[in-house]
Amino acid sequence: MEQNSTAGGATEQYHGNYLSNPAVTAEPRREEEEEEEEEDDDEMPAERKNKKSWGQVMKELKLFWWNPETHAFMGRSGKSWGLILLFYTIFYSFLAAMFTVCMYALLMTISPYTPTYRDRVVPPGVMISPRVGGFDIAFNASDPKTWAKYTETLNAFLTPYNDVEQERKNVACTPDVYFKQDDREESAERKACQFKRSSLGNCSGIDDPSFGYSEGKPCILLKMNRIIGYLPGEGTPVTVSCEALKGDVDRFGAAEFHPYDFFNLMYYPYYGKLTHVNYTSPLVAIRFPQVTTENPLTVQCKLNGKGIKSDSMQDRFLGRITFTLQIGA
Amino acid sequence: MGNREGRDQYELDATSEHGGKKNDKKGKKGKKDRNLDELKKEVDLDDHKLTLDELHQKYGTDLSRGLTVARAAEILLCDGPNCLTPPPTTPEWVKFCKQMFGGFCMLLWIGSILCFFAYGIQAAVDDEPVADNLYLGIVLAAVVIITGCFSYYQEAKSSKIMESFKNMVPQQALVIRDGEKNSINAEEVVVGDLVEVKGGDRIPADLRIISSNGCKVDNSSLTGESEPQTRTPEFSNENPLETRNIAFYSTSCVEGTACGIVIKTGDHTVMGRIATLASGLEVGQTPLSIEIEHFIHIITGVAVFLGVSFFILSLILGYSWLEAIVFLIGIIVANVPEGLLATVTVCLTLTAKRMAHKNCLVKNLEAVETLGSTSTICSDKTGTLTQNRMTVAHMWFDNQIHEADTTENQSGATFDKSSSTWAALARVAGLCNRAVFQAAQESVPILKRGVAGDASESALLKCIELCCGSVTAMRDKNPKIEEIPFNSTNKYQLSIHRNANPSESRYLLVMKGAPERILDRCNTILIQGKEQPLDDEMKDAFQNAYLELGGLGERVLGFCHMPLPDDQFPEGFKFDVDDLNFPTEKLCFVGLMAMIDPPRAAVPDAVSKCRSAGIKVIMVTGDHPITAKAIAKGVGIISEGNETVEDIAARLNIPVGEVNPRDAKACVIHGGKLKDMTSDQLDDLLKHHTEIVFARTSPQQKLIIVEGFQRQGAIVAVTGDGVNDSPALKKADIGVAMGISGSDVSKQAADMILLDDNFASIVTGVEEGRLIFDNLKKSIAYTLTSNIPEITPFLFFIIASIPLALGTVTILCIDLGTDMLPAISLAYEGPESDIMKRQPRNPKIDKLVNERLISMAYGQFGMISAVGAFFTYFVILADNGFLPMRLLGIRIEWEDKSLNDLEDSYGQQWTYEQRKVIEFTCQTAFFISVVIVQWAILIICKTRKNSVFQQGMKNNVLTLGLFEETALAAFLSYCPGMDVALRMYPLKPTWWVCALPFAVIVFIYDEIRKVIIRRSPGCWVEKETYY
Repeated sequence: MEQNSTAGGATEQYHGNYLSNPAVTAEPRREEEEEEEEEDDDEMPAERKNKKSWGQVMKELKLFWWNPETHAFMGRSGKSWGLILLFYTIFYSFLAAMFTVCMYALLMTISPYTPTYRDRVVPPGVMISPRVGGFDIAFNASDPKTWAKYTETLNAFLTPYNDVEQERKNVACTPDVYFKQDDREESAERKACQFKRSSLGNCSGIDDPSFGYSEGKPCILLKMNRIIGYLPGEGTPVTVSCEALKGDVDRFGAAEFHPYDFFNLMYYPYYGKLTHVNYTSPLVAIRFPQVTTENPLTVQCKLNGKGIKSDSMQDRFLGRITFTLQIGA
Repeated sequence: MGNREGRDQYELDATSEHGGKKNDKKGKKGKKDRNLDELKKEVDLDDHKLTLDELHQKYGTDLSRGLTVARAAEILLCDGPNCLTPPPTTPEWVKFCKQMFGGFCMLLWIGSILCFFAYGIQAAVDDEPVADNLYLGIVLAAVVIITGCFSYYQEAKSSKIMESFKNMVPQQALVIRDGEKNSINAEEVVVGDLVEVKGGDRIPADLRIISSNGCKVDNSSLTGESEPQTRTPEFSNENPLETRNIAFYSTSCVEGTACGIVIKTGDHTVMGRIATLASGLEVGQTPLSIEIEHFIHIITGVAVFLGVSFFILSLILGYSWLEAIVFLIGIIVANVPEGLLATVTVCLTLTAKRMAHKNCLVKNLEAVETLGSTSTICSDKTGTLTQNRMTVAHMWFDNQIHEADTTENQSGATFDKSSSTWAALARVAGLCNRAVFQAAQESVPILKRGVAGDASESALLKCIELCCGSVTAMRDKNPKIEEIPFNSTNKYQLSIHRNANPSESRYLLVMKGAPERILDRCNTILIQGKEQPLDDEMKDAFQNAYLELGGLGERVLGFCHMPLPDDQFPEGFKFDVDDLNFPTEKLCFVGLMAMIDPPRAAVPDAVSKCRSAGIKVIMVTGDHPITAKAIAKGVGIISEGNETVEDIAARLNIPVGEVNPRDAKACVIHGGKLKDMTSDQLDDLLKHHTEIVFARTSPQQKLIIVEGFQRQGAIVAVTGDGVNDSPALKKADIGVAMGISGSDVSKQAADMILLDDNFASIVTGVEEGRLIFDNLKKSIAYTLTSNIPEITPFLFFIIASIPLALGTVTILCIDLGTDMLPAISLAYEGPESDIMKRQPRNPKIDKLVNERLISMAYGQFGMISAVGAFFTYFVILADNGFLPMRLLGIRIEWEDKSLNDLEDSYGQQWTYEQRKVIEFTCQTAFFISVVIVQWAILIICKTRKNSVFQQGMKNNVLTLGLFEETALAAFLSYCPGMDVALRMYPLKPTWWVCALPFAVIVFIYDEIRKVIIRRSPGCWVEKETYY
């Protein structure tokens, strides 16, 4: 490194040498090389480079990898490597520190209870349970193996809604009005309204652990995505309706809703994970008791209410959900 | 030295150590190379030494009846037609493919193919594959195709060398066969044919003159010397190019008639060899394309290194093989700077346009930079350095040398015109002169007027016209009675005029000619208007003056006159020029006038500028050594105080052999000497002399000289105007032809044309070339910087499983959108220092893109930019409910289309599409953050060493670029419909400013770095960071 005092950026100095003594300038080139580039042949500085044989390339590569004369590894001596690594260590440490400071400042300024913007998460999306793999519910009523996965999922999903659990953690609220708790401090814990599993009737899985699947009258549970501070329906509850879109539409019949075909206002607004710890999303259980076809039926359930958008072209889960039903005997 | 295989291929055969091996490998190529080598040797002719009888024997031609028709047909069948065979041309589609698949394009093609491949993998695995890779592949292909077509269009106009040669060839020839004159198609002329030419004809083949009548030929296309030369049957010089009895194919006969035997036809003629040589030479890569190739190596290296590292990493992280391969391809492709090809092309085009404004027309885009890298300029003398116009430079009368004005605009020295000797001299020069101005040129400046007559007489005519007014009036007043024109035996020209001056005799005899011959005929000399006896002292003075002027390389003519005494020559005396019934001796010597083709006014300055820019200027001329040396000294090619070996020998008064050649920096090499040199000797010569003049060089030798310099590693520019220069022009790294005086062939062979024929324009070219090289560096540094923020999102997507922070569309928006104009605007950046004060770049060390540039752009600027953009990304996600901690490892859920209730950090639930909108908003913001940091990067990249505050923001295009990229970014973000078209979403105002601190940091960081570089040159910071 030391002997090449002109190396690096001192291009002006190279040129001075270059005309009079090309042999000298070939030397600093050593450290100019990087990675897989080939080195120029020092013995023949004046010769134009010809196509090198494979062996020559390998030899040069080896020399580049470790040059015993200059003790240079990959074109740099130990000291040179040390300096450059030290530089980059400091540089990146500084950068990391700066990033950390910025992130820290960001987290400091952000409320832990409410996100700064909620405009991208409204209007709410809709999901159903059971969701096993996708949105195809296909089973043979007579074959429990074909629907066991659905009932298991539903059971697991409904565990937090067990009456005991609900009564222990949550309060019974006044129906049909929003359960606003804005008067408390932001960090204070909010109460959550009870939503009892038993209210789901045929679809609670209490009386019929097969949720109707064994009879070919399956239940699904529908819920609306949680959004902090969102008041669905603007005073009037959001209702749910279902219709068959494709397949033997005539043999779809009508759906049953439990406990009601709407989401009661008392479950809103939601105050966020941190303060609304025991919040359980209200559900609408939908039963399809009158399906008389074994062919796949495409069913769409959607929300109806003020401020609900269920016709978005881009987002097929906004205010609606589409799934297929194939109920075998 | 870069990869110049193309250039080397035929050289190799010349050097024995490589030759054999190489030839075995490529037999066909080898054969062609040998042919070219053969052509590079000097013309080997001995027909000029033969007597007419020997000629008759050799060619079997009857010297009066010519060949028989049957014999001619036989020879024609055997030798083929007398025409120039064009070299095998590359079909257009091959040229097109070369543009499409060369260098940088290949990189993009590979990227494109990899994209399709990756898409194929995704399509095979996934039912609904993300189409990003498909789009990227298509865009990459489109970029290559568009730029490829553009450069093909640029190149298509070039090289039609052979066609231009063909324009010089005559159509018809007058041959004598079976004793009858026939005008036949010139292609049917065969060796041995007896051919007649007359004034105005072009010579149909190489002819050995057997009889002539006042025949003069214009050999300018061969030798570059424009003066017509006499052609006679006599053998006058060993060198076939200089002997008088050979006339060459395609040169023109100016006057007189001649008859000769065809000794060579078609491609075997001297001109045919030059044509084949010029059109057959393979031109190597331009320095810029070597640089770009090197750049591609680096970029590919980095890309493959990153790709493979993350391939391995992703396997370790548990991704499947197919996923890992898609990642590998993604990373490699993300490293390809899509917009750079277009940027470089546009930058070069802009510079080419700018140079065209300054009278340098660039034919080949990459040649724009070549002139900037040039370390040696081989300049032709006539027409390039000189005005190509004989001009009276000195006069000797009254025993004193007077200097005449030789500048183009008459701004030079004047001399004392009051002496009556001058009046006498002017009268002799004006009267004893057959040159006349062509009609209707009154409005043209005297020096630029067309003259009928030979060069010396024209020079005298113009000189007298300038000094003493109308020569025509003088001739009218002193009407010519008789005259003896110049001929080579008596070497003088004489005329007798009626004397208008009543105080003198009635008749005046004036004579001019070779000075020594004139002096011999004189016994008196005119001093201060008084006739004085010509004593030995005077003769010595004459000798000294003659030698001095001759030493200046000037053509000297002597003038004398004699007022014919009235008593011997009364009114109406019948002068008889055959009997010479008047005195032609014991005349009165008036003076000498010396002429030279003077250097152009701007040349000495240009040469010294080249010199201070570290460029060797070499003169290569077909002219005489003495003249060449004089001009070389005049223009500074041999600088003041530098001596040749001969000068040293003369000064020390020792034989030339005793002088150590190393002591002499300058040298003048005669073509004859050059012929006998081995290439090692030539190398030695070129290495140890800084100021070289090659005189009497043949076209082949010019080529050899160029190759010699190229062997030294120099980047050679050749300037020339003649056909004889065309092989050298073609071979040079950059050939520069003269736009006005240049022959069509030379313009075709050149890469650049000086529209004003001014050597000084080359200096402009060098300056522009150097500037564009610097600016391309800046432009590339700027463009590469955005590569890191483009790659890192993908890397973090893989290793941290966070949502993708920058998508394909946004990457393309940066590369082909916002980065474009700012990168181009750097081409308009002014120089940081006087770029003409530094040495030319060393192509071995001073690379366009070196690892320091990569280290700066990728390792430092790019990283800051990426960190800034990532900060914005996290801000947006956090603002919307996804805190950074939640994001780590979220990838699988995030990308699950059926998961439509993904919980964020606050417990809110998101549909797939909703979170994708957030993701794309983040990508838009990431993109805008990159643009914001690129503001600072652009300002940083304006300079490599100076502070921006020193450099100023004078580059308006750059300022415009700043606004343009911002406006474009805002448009892409806010324009309605963009969410559907490009999936870019409007940002909240606060998200714009997140990256600003990082822009400030990068600016401050770089200013500090530059301060350190300026304060302590050669320090570690400079060594590691100055690109």
